[in-house]
Amino acid sequence: MPFLQPRVDGELRSLLDDHAWLHRMVDALGSPVNLVLPGQAVENVRRFRASHRARHLGGHVFFAHKANRSRALIRRLAAEEAGIDVASLGELQSALAAGFAPERIMATGPKSREFLWLAARAAVLVNADSVEELTRLAGIVETHDLPRVRVMTRLSGFPSVGTTVLTRASRFGVPVTRLGPLWEALARHGDQLDFLGVAYHLDTVGLPEKVAALEGCLHAMDEAARHGLNPRAIDIGGGFGVSYLAEESQWEAWTTELTGAVLGNRPPLTWNGHGYGLRNEGGKVRGALSVYPAHRAVAGPAYLDRLLDTESMTLRRPFGTLLLESMFDLHIEPGRALLDQCGAVLTRVEEVRDDGHGETLVRVAGNSADIALEQHGVLMDPLLVARDRSAQPDPATASPVGVYLTGNLCLEADLITRRKVFLPGRPRPGDLLVFVNTAGYLMDFSAGNALMQPSARTVAAYRGHDGWQWCLDENYWPVTGREETA
Amino acid sequence: MRYDSVTDVIGGTPLVRIDAAVHGLRNIDLYAKMELFNPFGSLKDRAAWNMVRDQVTAAAERGDTVVELSSGNTAKALALIAGMHGLPFRSVTNRMKVPEIKDLLLLLGARIDELPGRSECLDPADTDDPLTRMYHTVSASDGGYLHTDQYFNDLNVDAHAFGTGPEIIADLGGRVPDYFIACVGTAGSSTGVARALRTHDPAVTVVGLVAQKSDFIPGIRNIDEVHEVGLFDPGTYDTIEAVSSDEAIDGLLTLIRRCGTLAGPTGGGAYQGAVRYLRTVDATLTDRRTAVFIVCDRVESYLSYLRERRPELFRLPARAQSVHALTDDDLAAAHTIGVADAQEWIDKQTPLVVDLRSPFAYRALHIDRSINIVDDLFEEMLHGGLPFGRRQPVLLVCPVGEKSARYAALLARMGHQDVRSLAGGVIAWRDAGAALVRD
Ligand SMILES: Cc1ncc(COP(=O)(O)O)c(C=O)c1O
Ligand SMILES: Cc1ncc(COP(=O)(O)O)c(C=O)c1O
Repeated sequence: MPFLQPRVDGELRSLLDDHAWLHRMVDALGSPVNLVLPGQAVENVRRFRASHRARHLGGHVFFAHKANRSRALIRRLAAEEAGIDVASLGELQSALAAGFAPERIMATGPKSREFLWLAARAAVLVNADSVEELTRLAGIVETHDLPRVRVMTRLSGFPSVGTTVLTRASRFGVPVTRLGPLWEALARHGDQLDFLGVAYHLDTVGLPEKVAALEGCLHAMDEAARHGLNPRAIDIGGGFGVSYLAEESQWEAWTTELTGAVLGNRPPLTWNGHGYGLRNEGGKVRGALSVYPAHRAVAGPAYLDRLLDTESMTLRRPFGTLLLESMFDLHIEPGRALLDQCGAVLTRVEEVRDDGHGETLVRVAGNSADIALEQHGVLMDPLLVARDRSAQPDPATASPVGVYLTGNLCLEADLITRRKVFLPGRPRPGDLLVFVNTAGYLMDFSAGNALMQPSARTVAAYRGHDGWQWCLDENYWPVTGREETA
Repeated sequence: MRYDSVTDVIGGTPLVRIDAAVHGLRNIDLYAKMELFNPFGSLKDRAAWNMVRDQVTAAAERGDTVVELSSGNTAKALALIAGMHGLPFRSVTNRMKVPEIKDLLLLLGARIDELPGRSECLDPADTDDPLTRMYHTVSASDGGYLHTDQYFNDLNVDAHAFGTGPEIIADLGGRVPDYFIACVGTAGSSTGVARALRTHDPAVTVVGLVAQKSDFIPGIRNIDEVHEVGLFDPGTYDTIEAVSSDEAIDGLLTLIRRCGTLAGPTGGGAYQGAVRYLRTVDATLTDRRTAVFIVCDRVESYLSYLRERRPELFRLPARAQSVHALTDDDLAAAHTIGVADAQEWIDKQTPLVVDLRSPFAYRALHIDRSINIVDDLFEEMLHGGLPFGRRQPVLLVCPVGEKSARYAALLARMGHQDVRSLAGGVIAWRDAGAALVRD
């Protein structure tokens, strides 16, 4: 069977093993329920910190807030050795309200005047997107008589060495070929802006592009020093990635089957023969598979390790060594990777029916905005949690069924998966389908109030003195009530 | 033998019997078609020349650029041919995975464009992949490109249908081998040879070899990727089997160490795949059969590929004076000195201050009057003995004091009498507010 079984481990595994608890949550709060695990996020921060520590590197982990809007997650991170990357005025307010000290907040992305003002007023680190933005910020600082603001500047358009590494054009950042105006602006506004260093964020899984960017940043730091600045940190953004599937072989088998289906060599695996970017042109496969690489051999902190252990082509030392030797702090902004195994979406099965053309449709109480797997091209199976423990299909004996998952919107397009999903047995109304590892972007990234369906409640689960406890996301604070000193 | 042009030397490669004592098949004579003897080093010389021969003069007059999606032998052959005719060559590739080939292409004057990696935050609505876009650009007529399009170009197949295939038949005395085994990249060689052989005698069995899916063998495709290849027709092959990079390297080692044949990984894969396939056939045979496989290219370009997968093949002898050979006692005996004491020592004794960091970091900021010898170079110098007198005071500096302590221990073990390591390194120095300069 072309299964794509998700990797579930750590705290999430332990929580999801309690089927009765999962049903109680959905019974009490309705479907869907978003579950977040702040404790696992802390563990993930620790793993990223270990990469720094192993190389004696300074610098911080700034969680990219945009990956999830849960308050519990950021309140818990505020209590730990973590920073936060905020990309809007709203996110900045949310970070301040969660208790992040300003030194540990970094404002990224293009910024409105209001965003710049609050960032400067609160004295957070501003990662500027353009020279114009720096100038505007300096103006705000001067006019409102605010303290000097720590700034970094995002760069883009990095050249490569030897071969030409073609990169996706980015709308963000100052082109490295035109840094002159940047140095001038920083010199002119030295009283308002304290320049820490340069940054990049690249939307790619490709290591060579990141290598070229890091190389470019090192050379830009050198140039900054030659212009009389005192640069001391490089921010390499996010994009460390998550490996979603438990087994590489399933991913390989499924992509092979999809190729076969596109060529018509086997029955379709997708709704209306959707090819996920592949198409059949005269018996040949054309196009490129346009989905997230669901199984990745190297992701998260290991990806950071790989980058830092890569040798710079021009400087002929590993990047980690070069950063350390140059006494540069290394800042990172992981979003997706920091939320690996930090949450799940619980949905109730409403209806199971055959569509009369040989397909089985399973409708869940929830929609494709609640569970954004298709929108983000992440292909993995949900877990089936039967209402009745005795009806739970045993993978060893049950016969799997292939189904399409539809949502609760009255829209033809509201498919939660365009891929046929194989479940260990036929689900029944009242069973749960649990979409695991969805905390990073896949949970409520774009959920709105379409068709007035209820939006999901978010629940934070944490370990108390006698097992798992939970509360509504907005009620979570990282205090236990047992903090009295002796 | 005299030739007017090196392209006249392409083809006409020998067919060499593999010793039965090596392959162990009892009823099958196994022959290697030695494509590595082509002038540019691989079987792709034939395809490259056949694809441009009739167009190259006109392209030179127009000033076109030769372009191909290749990161390997086709690019190499085309770059050389383009150079002979005064044309630029541009190679477009997903990834240059073999560093020697990349360097070689740059040496030949090729321009290499690497396509971007997949987006991390995916927009599934964007199905316009960079490869397709690039393909349209270079394929437009009058676009200034001579696009050889090896994955779709029938001239690639013809090079083998009229060259490689008939040569094999001629060398076997006009007979077609019973089995033909080849790796599949563009499918040009296997398709062309299969066509020539079948025309002569349809009884031949053709085995196509592809790479295992998560594996990588430079030059050939995996079982999904072959479906993107225009020249690939499943009907060409009686069977398609996968070989692993491990098997390819085993085969390569057999050909190199026992058969005097400097085969690259696909030659090794073809040998190993052939023997694996033929072994089961051999057991059922009572009469003699012949089989032919292709050795596509030479090993020298794949040393880093081999080093990565089989580091033990390249084991270097341990060296005597090395920081890797220090004992815990050596390390415990190393002298370290804190920032304040070091400043005083520098003022009074003017020790030689050696900064072991990279020139890049040193140039930006360093302790005044220190000299820069990067650690790799310093270690190299120490293999030859102490580079300064044993009574010359020396202060070693690195980022955090770890590496410098190891070198201090090594110098002490080599008999140096006054070497110290800056505790906490240059970072502690900076954090203590001590002066750093940029010259
Ligand atoms: C500037 C910046 N930093 C960090 C991130 C987080 O990226 P990821 O979730 O892939 O780690 C993003 C994502 O869009 C971003 O734009
Ligand atoms: C080293 C090597 N072996 C084998 C092949 C496969 O040959 P063909 O492209 O004719 O299938 C190639 C082709 O690129 C190659 O470079």
